[in-house]
Amino acid sequence: MSQWLEDVIAHAEQPASNELAATWLAEQRNSSLKKLKEQKWPTRRTEAWANTSLVSVESRNAKPTPANITSWDKPAIPGLDSIDIYFVGGQLKTDLSTFTLPEGLSIYTLQDEKAEAVAASRFAQIKPERHIFGLINDAIANSGVVIDVAENAIIDTPIRLIHLANDGVENHSRVLVNVAKHAKVTIIEHGVGEEDSVNTSMSEFDVADNATLYHYRFALFTQKALHVGGCHFQVGASSYINSTIVAFGSDLSKLNIDVNYTGEHSNVDINAMYLLAEGEAFDLQSTIEHAVPNGTSNEKVHGIIGDRARANFGGRIHIHRDAQKTLAQLNNRNLLLSRRALINTKPELEIYADDVRCAHGATIAEIDDESLYYLLTRGIPRSQALIMLNFGFIQELINDIEIDPIRAWLTDMLSTRFKSMEVS
Amino acid sequence: MVNMLSIKNLHAGIEEKNILKGLDLTINPGEVHAIMGPNGAGKSTLGYVLSGRDGYEVTEGEATLNGQDLLDMEIEERAVAGLFLAFQYPVEIPGVSNMVFMKESVNAARIARGQEEYTAGEFLKLAKEACKQVQLPLDFLKRGVNEGFSGGEKKRNEIMQMILLQPSICFLDETDSGLDVDALKTVADGVNSQRSPERSFVVVTHYQRLLDYIKPDFVHILADGKIIKSGDASLALKIENEGYGFLGLNYVEEKA
Repeated sequence: MSQWLEDVIAHAEQPASNELAATWLAEQRNSSLKKLKEQKWPTRRTEAWANTSLVSVESRNAKPTPANITSWDKPAIPGLDSIDIYFVGGQLKTDLSTFTLPEGLSIYTLQDEKAEAVAASRFAQIKPERHIFGLINDAIANSGVVIDVAENAIIDTPIRLIHLANDGVENHSRVLVNVAKHAKVTIIEHGVGEEDSVNTSMSEFDVADNATLYHYRFALFTQKALHVGGCHFQVGASSYINSTIVAFGSDLSKLNIDVNYTGEHSNVDINAMYLLAEGEAFDLQSTIEHAVPNGTSNEKVHGIIGDRARANFGGRIHIHRDAQKTLAQLNNRNLLLSRRALINTKPELEIYADDVRCAHGATIAEIDDESLYYLLTRGIPRSQALIMLNFGFIQELINDIEIDPIRAWLTDMLSTRFKSMEVS
Repeated sequence: MVNMLSIKNLHAGIEEKNILKGLDLTINPGEVHAIMGPNGAGKSTLGYVLSGRDGYEVTEGEATLNGQDLLDMEIEERAVAGLFLAFQYPVEIPGVSNMVFMKESVNAARIARGQEEYTAGEFLKLAKEACKQVQLPLDFLKRGVNEGFSGGEKKRNEIMQMILLQPSICFLDETDSGLDVDALKTVADGVNSQRSPERSFVVVTHYQRLLDYIKPDFVHILADGKIIKSGDASLALKIENEGYGFLGLNYVEEKA
């Protein structure tokens, strides 16, 4: 048992923490708390944590009570016009009542009784129970929003949810998004931190029939900013999800992605990229449940790992017995910049249907010295040559991004980060 | 007058193995020098050492380009200073377009000279001309660098880069190997079009045939890491007819 988890459970059991919650939320919390108490704190022998150490979090004293932070850095995406909602140190810092929202879009706080109709049947129910940090977040997240996109509503302005915790603070924030039939919305989850902190931010998405979700998750946690998060999707019939994930690494940073198909003829594209420097670690685990026929999924995960950094990737595609005519692709490509850099990659196909097309693969490459020499002999500066040779497979995923300002911002930020990474 | 390229008593090798053992060579602006010699003599090594390839270590001697210490520069600085190496085996780089590659190369040199970078449009025009000059189809500009090119196409691509980069000294490492007569002539025409009083060439070859097209001012025989004989174009003819035997050299396959 970890000190940190003991503190978390003690906090969740205090009557005060439930008083803040709406009735529907209090019920869900109690249910998750019960499950959490039945779970064992993971060790390196727990399969989901075999390559990712929890040492940095387990001996801490937890600070689940929201901290009242008054100033923080606002992460900008130049040129992006978005509805910005800030979660800082476990508090919702944006007054939702100040928004004039487009027709068909509603945003409620987690404590709002009005969220019940949307949230009571979805909160903590799209997210699989096996994620221990998911249960923790269920039990203690006080800051959160429920986003409801009505049938047929096409919301053009992206909604950006910023998750922050500064020095010594924890942020447990929660997002639930309901995209009703024929609706379309863009959600950006922007997590940042470098100081000593803990961030669990969990999001659940219910994408109904014929609906479209564009989703971005930026897990830009570095150094001592610990992060365990999750994005969990439920996909109705004939719907489309496009998710872009960008991660740096820290002492502990892990993201769980779950996709569960409940309706046929839906299509999910996931593009994930990670750039890890120095001693950073990042762990991405995705599980795609093709539970119904005629689903399509295409997941591309590309990473660059430098110095002593460590990446861990697990990509599971589970094709159920009834899920005939599924098309599933999963590809993980890695570039190691140093002899000490490490990648553990485990693409996994589990197929019970007999009429499906699936492909999966993983590659690991190093800098090609001869190509580099060739470019240098033409006068191209070394940093530029390395970008040309090795950034292409990251750029390829960036180029797929629909929103121009995000594409430009990521190209700039990721190429700058890549240039600063040492090749040895 | 400052010599364009001046190599004095150059000793160099790789992994403890000495390959160049006291090489001297002086090249003045506008001159074409051919270097011939048996396999394993150090001809390619000279190109690698001059360009600064990792793993090649200079143990003694000096090399200057327009009075600057060449051996003290980074690989890319040597290129920007005017050295161009045409590879014997040009490298395939899938994923990097030939056009982007050449534009970055040319602009790197322009930035170093304090000139404005070419815009994409300006460069495209120049690249198309150069591409036609070496008789490559224009879609070769869009393809990955040397990706899937035949041996002859790779060599033409090297000459196209040389035309665009406008170097002051060009080191052509067996640019004629693997070429049929037509390709040889195209490559030679490309080289000849770039001859000028300010530009010099070092042409490494095994065959006199190339020198019918690219007339050298000097021919040097490189053997066992040193220049053992220098002469005019007639020296190449003599080797073509008699082999290296008259120099007391017997053909020895390099030990692997």
